[in-house]
Amino acid sequence: MPDGAKPVLDVRGLQTVFRTRGGDVHAVNSVSFHLEPGELLGVVGESGSGKSVTMMSLIGLLPMPPAEIRGGQVMLGDMDILKVSPAQLREIRGKRIGFVFQDPMTSLNPVYTVGNQVMEPLLRHMGLNKTQARARAIELLELVGIPDAERRMKDYPHQFSGGMRQRVMIAIALACDPEVLIADEPTTALDVTIQAQIIELVKDLRSKLGMAIVWITHDLGVIAGIADRVVVMYGGQIVEQAPVGELFANPQHPYTRALLKTIPSVSGTREKRLRVIEGQPPILGAAPTACPFMPRCTEAFAVCHVENPQRRPLDDKRVGYGHDVACHWDAKTGGIA
Amino acid sequence: MLDANPTEQSSANSAAKLVEVKDLKMYFPIHTGLFRRHTGDVKAVDGLSFDIFKGETLGLVGESGCGKSTVGRALLRLYELTNGSVTIEGEDIAKLSPEALRRKRPTMQMVFQDPQACLNPRMTVAAIISEPLDEHTKLSSAEKLEKVYELMDAVGLNRAFANRYPHAFSGGQRQRIGIARALALNPKFIVCDEPIAALDVSIQAQVVNLLEDLQEQFGLTYLFISHDLSMVRHIADRVAVMYLGRIAELSPREPLYAEPLHPYAKALLSAVPDPDPEREATRQRIILQGDVPSPSNPPKGCNFCTRCPEVIPICHEVKPELAEVRPGRFVACHLVKPD
Repeated sequence: MPDGAKPVLDVRGLQTVFRTRGGDVHAVNSVSFHLEPGELLGVVGESGSGKSVTMMSLIGLLPMPPAEIRGGQVMLGDMDILKVSPAQLREIRGKRIGFVFQDPMTSLNPVYTVGNQVMEPLLRHMGLNKTQARARAIELLELVGIPDAERRMKDYPHQFSGGMRQRVMIAIALACDPEVLIADEPTTALDVTIQAQIIELVKDLRSKLGMAIVWITHDLGVIAGIADRVVVMYGGQIVEQAPVGELFANPQHPYTRALLKTIPSVSGTREKRLRVIEGQPPILGAAPTACPFMPRCTEAFAVCHVENPQRRPLDDKRVGYGHDVACHWDAKTGGIA
Repeated sequence: MLDANPTEQSSANSAAKLVEVKDLKMYFPIHTGLFRRHTGDVKAVDGLSFDIFKGETLGLVGESGCGKSTVGRALLRLYELTNGSVTIEGEDIAKLSPEALRRKRPTMQMVFQDPQACLNPRMTVAAIISEPLDEHTKLSSAEKLEKVYELMDAVGLNRAFANRYPHAFSGGQRQRIGIARALALNPKFIVCDEPIAALDVSIQAQVVNLLEDLQEQFGLTYLFISHDLSMVRHIADRVAVMYLGRIAELSPREPLYAEPLHPYAKALLSAVPDPDPEREATRQRIILQGDVPSPSNPPKGCNFCTRCPEVIPICHEVKPELAEVRPGRFVACHLVKPD
């Protein structure tokens, strides 16, 4: 991707808190990232790392309360979408930003036909009449590889298999030609052979339609095959960001390094024993004053206990544009950066 | 009770069969209409035969709905089998009387997928782990507590937490509680049904390493059911690939992953994403078309014939039998002939 192209989506310092009876949960802590036109940004992290909450906050899909966005900017083009009215936000959702969620069964409405649901955004956002919307919906279903699309318009979601439902979700998300597609664990609920089908489909659609995609997953294997650039999240923060090849070849954060070593692979050499990351992911009770990975880190210094590291660039590019890491440890020297 | 050396020396005869499965069938009847007539069957498991050797880990992989969990449950007779025999240590458990089966239970245990659902939220950890001891042994309370502590040590849980309830533990720790409970009666054979599927990546490795340690320590034999092919490659000695209620291929680990023989095994392995961008960029994927057919109405002939990229006419007519095509490698395919 050319450096300097104006990002389609630019998130700066996003901070989301859930207010609970047991106190605030700091789910997202000053997360910043951008999305360039046509690129696929992979967001990796374990459950509770804040990857889904980040995406849900920026499009206003979190229930508020208990959620509260404490700060940050989300620039879609020239508009800060955290500041727009609910009506404007509804115009943006589905039209300029499309979504695909993890579980295609719960995100489709079981009492409407699939055709009805694919036509809905077309009627709502695109100003098409029913005949036009129907024709376009059939086109979309064909585009995502649903055989016999015209007849299947009349079917209900339960008549589709998991993989086919996910294709329907993708058709709905793409209906209004969005600039940004956010896919939240779109293949996690699917079997591997179906996952491979969906990944091929997304690759194919990308080359045809050229939208920018944010792909959230916990599966580093999926990321390796599909992403241009990767953001690694841990404890509600971005801990590392790099182009995909660079991240896998040259991981810098102790968490990324440990994570890459702990996953077995179907090819390559088989380790006699799996490496583990000892301990548990953090509970995000208080605003972080230390590095969230510190209790599990093998490289922790004294400074890691008292100061949450900021992202620092590892090359001459700005943070977010080259390779950057939020860590006090310097992987090259083994000392404090 | 926690013998590091089980009474029967497993090393004495390493190729001895612990579990022998012959023509296992598990059909679930479909009843329809006003009179709930028996109109068909979901053929979840349709004629499986395989052995599990003492001290080995047999991986059982396949996609959802292929019947792998049903096999695991049928092996412990958590279902009444439709047909076939499951011989564990010389006794066909399919034919045991309820009382004899109860006495047999301590040798065979299970670790479940969802550690949240398989632990009673109203029982303390100590009560959960000692429940099998209450049922099957005549130990005194003090002896039981001692045994509970030993088990908690063995699975890496802090003894101080014995009186806590499951909700106070994380997913990985809950899975350890489930494993401790399965170990309580010194079993020989444990069915692990997707034990790591509900856990985070960084926790999965912890649990897999624990299972390996325990296997070595107590001489356990595992049936490791999983859809995660890369983790199965790590833990299993031999791997059975299931498709639609049948075994497509059963091979030792290394040859299977290096060169799968059955077309389904090939497609399945090629679909697994590899955490290496360079290998991913050059890899040739076999993308299967369509979905798995319904097990209530499997295709005639080979059950993979509707999606097989290498299908030939005979596949639609004749069901291929699982045959040994190379030493130790069993494949059910018309295209794979013995060397």
